Amino acid sequence: MNQTVVSYLSQYEFYDFLLALFKNNQSLLSFVIYLVLALAIVGMCATIGGLGTYAERKISADIQARIGPNRVGPYGLLQFLADGVKMMLKEDVMPFSADKMLFYLAPLLCLTGVFATLAVLPFSGGFIMTDLNVGIFYLVAISSLVGVGVFLGGYASNSKWSMLGGMRGASQIISYEIPVTISILAITLLSGGMGFGTIVGSQGGLPHQWFMFHNPFAFIATFVYFVGALAETNRAPFDLPEAESELVSGYHTEYTGMRFGFFALAEYIEVFVVCGVAAALFLGGYNLPGIKLDILPIQAVQFVIFMTKTLVLYYVVIWVRWTFPRLRVDQLMSICWKYLTPIAIFNLVGCAIWMVVFNGKSIAEILLGSH
Amino acid sequence: MLPAQFDGLMPVVIFMALAILLFFGGHFLSVFLAPKKPSLLKSTPYECGEQPVGSAWSMFNVRFYVVGLIFIIFDVESVLMFPVASIFKELNDMGQGGYALIIFLSFISVLIEGIAYCWRKGDLDWVKSFQHSLKKETK
Amino acid sequence: MFLQFLFISSALLTIACSIAVLITKNLMHSCVFLLGALVGIAGLYATLGADFVAVTQIMVYMGGVVILMLFAVMLTGGKDFVSRAQNLLGLPASMGNKWTYGVGLLVGVVFLLTNIKLISGITMNVAGQPSTQTGSTVNQIGHLLVKDHVLAFEISSVLLLGALVGAAIIARPRKHN
Repeated sequence: MNQTVVSYLSQYEFYDFLLALFKNNQSLLSFVIYLVLALAIVGMCATIGGLGTYAERKISADIQARIGPNRVGPYGLLQFLADGVKMMLKEDVMPFSADKMLFYLAPLLCLTGVFATLAVLPFSGGFIMTDLNVGIFYLVAISSLVGVGVFLGGYASNSKWSMLGGMRGASQIISYEIPVTISILAITLLSGGMGFGTIVGSQGGLPHQWFMFHNPFAFIATFVYFVGALAETNRAPFDLPEAESELVSGYHTEYTGMRFGFFALAEYIEVFVVCGVAAALFLGGYNLPGIKLDILPIQAVQFVIFMTKTLVLYYVVIWVRWTFPRLRVDQLMSICWKYLTPIAIFNLVGCAIWMVVFNGKSIAEILLGSH
Repeated sequence: MLPAQFDGLMPVVIFMALAILLFFGGHFLSVFLAPKKPSLLKSTPYECGEQPVGSAWSMFNVRFYVVGLIFIIFDVESVLMFPVASIFKELNDMGQGGYALIIFLSFISVLIEGIAYCWRKGDLDWVKSFQHSLKKETK
Repeated sequence: MFLQFLFISSALLTIACSIAVLITKNLMHSCVFLLGALVGIAGLYATLGADFVAVTQIMVYMGGVVILMLFAVMLTGGKDFVSRAQNLLGLPASMGNKWTYGVGLLVGVVFLLTNIKLISGITMNVAGQPSTQTGSTVNQIGHLLVKDHVLAFEISSVLLLGALVGAAIIARPRKHN
């Protein structure tokens, strides 16, 4: 049975009260709970995505010894709201030769693919919308919708820059899905399940209990995953689909106003999701060291732990963007197929052998004696 | 009364519906807020200020297709490996780890063969692919 | 309640998109509608409680095959991706006249009746209950793959190797003579 946020809440007394309020209509109540929490998560992620654009500009300014946005609100914090309002106030321009239906549809596909991944992201032990048995597999699968969106965005614009960006984007996203999937397979192997609850649950709160430090292969797999995830979200140094120095703006060259806004929102939320997955798979997720109690305040602490790890990774993503130069297309493909994929397969084999030879024990358990 | 396991799919549908709602809501808002002054110049595809020459929908290089093909094969392989990987620990705890390892490794070794073949034949090269095979044939 | 909603929406999505694939004359639009139909089928699998199969459907078809189709359409180039006015048999672009439509309808009806005859025996016995098994299908599939169907599992990898080599050979650029 899938663990969901509703089944978690149902162990508390106020759930019975709510149930009475809804005249014992269980499915209606769970629908309302899901809807409210989904709205909360979407709102939170949109805010994080918005603040992500702000953080990106501020951090890049720091790295390049500039000041960055400082006009709107304190320290320029409200810049993202101003940007959002600006996008809404801009005219939606569509090239006359564009494929109109697909031009409309492309941002929607990106947005749907990214939003659907939020359903399985484990924010805390109880606050995971639905802990599907196929959790991580589902996440990888549904996020490939973004690739279709990127390609169609490039195609539908009927502009040469967009077309090149869209083709590059789609082939990059699908290529890097392979090392990412194989790294995730290694973690599935170690944890013995694909659900996020299982994966996070088989790690511990302290660093030596994380899968990143479980064995040397998992350690490498962490970096393979992270590099692949950077490429899958079209982040620098893999931002070839929107390389501004060669492709103007890549697949969203022709997009203006709200439609561009949706592309940008999807991209920033996807970065957040990818960082969250990295935190859950490799960095112990929401685990709190030493405490086994399961009460609501603990959930809040777990939530904070998860968000901290995710946002640290988010910072690393931005840091990487402003540190490394962009790759060439042929380098991009050879990194994926000639380096990351063989390394990922090697890691998978290594993890499988490690599991059998050391009976599933981590390095720390072997060195310190099992506990 | 619905079986509880299907309850878990509700958030997936809700999130997708929210994305669609947000998308159309945003469009709805921009209809009211955004100006609408279309002109031919604005709706010309951007080509750095030049008049665009021809359509962008032209024939594309076959290597994108090759990458797609190789991707699908690997995709299917990873799909097949996922269920085996997720019971690997269980089998290992039951003392059948060696058996599972042999099955798993023999599956992966075929996968490695595939990537080694493509590598050797130059299908993984992005740029040199054509020259590579050209050189081979003229020799 | 939710199950019904999921089933009906997936089924409607599948049917509507499948019909759209057939009627639209733009190849790219066809591909996108096909994407919708495949998502609908994934929804139908989910309705049956086959979570792994549903996600596999999304992963392989939506993330792989549809993108490959889009690439393949791009390979053909073409001015505008709209199908030509005539097909191979010289029939008009509306795909036929009253005879072809008539034959198509007849085949469709026969096919439908055969299917109903075949399926009715199965559906009668299920008594309208969806699968209510509680465990994950993933573990069951995994156990079947390593125990009962281990040969199929291993041979499928050889099959995929063959597909990979074949794809690489066919798509490899050759010198024009």
